[in-house]
Amino acid sequence: MQRRFHRRFDVLDDVFAFIDSFFVEHSISDELRFPVHFAVEELFTNMVKYSPESGEDIEVALAIAPEGLKVCLTDFDVKPFDPTRAKAVDTDKPLEERTPGGLGIHLTKKLVDSMEYEHSEGQSRITFTATMRGHDVRS
Amino acid sequence: MFEAETIDGGEVRLMGRLDAAQAEKAQAFLDQLTGPTRLDLSGLEYISSAGLGVLLKTQKRLMPVGGVTLTNVNHHIHDIFKYSGFDQIFKIEPASA
Repeated sequence: MQRRFHRRFDVLDDVFAFIDSFFVEHSISDELRFPVHFAVEELFTNMVKYSPESGEDIEVALAIAPEGLKVCLTDFDVKPFDPTRAKAVDTDKPLEERTPGGLGIHLTKKLVDSMEYEHSEGQSRITFTATMRGHDVRS
Repeated sequence: MFEAETIDGGEVRLMGRLDAAQAEKAQAFLDQLTGPTRLDLSGLEYISSAGLGVLLKTQKRLMPVGGVTLTNVNHHIHDIFKYSGFDQIFKIEPASA
């Protein structure tokens, strides 16, 4: 199941509703809903922020995986930008040294099982899986 | 949808979803706080990194006057606080029975 969304923050409710309908249709555990919403929001908003030159919509594709689902976001007509290679975040910094930002991909990596990036023919594609098996390991 | 309300002088309740589309609204509300604050998160279903930025900015501003205490945090959001180190920079009270 796939759908394209305008590259704006105010479509997030529509993106979440799209994900929820897939969860209901395939009886996927509610425990995975939060991490999938989180990962999709972070990856989607990164695409919006870091590829402003593209006027194309962003595609979100959902597929069943063993004990969970596989999610793929595709950004069209963009230069390569690999968020999986974002620099490490020091989460031990005291409050006075903290600045907002930079946590999204760090947290996404913590919440999903695996995440891969590829770029070809002007398209950036990020795929991740979220499964109950991975969820149970993290819990 | 995100909503916030003041319960009494020092307590504020956040409700709904604090995502990138709602961060500006949440920041505008929290920017009005001027003293030590308990944030009741029992009605907050979801938070993303944009929401964390709002909480961090508020904590930095209010820390000199007593800071922010978080209460009634659901387990998904508690995981987010743990993975981001926010459990070290906020006082988090256990959920009430």
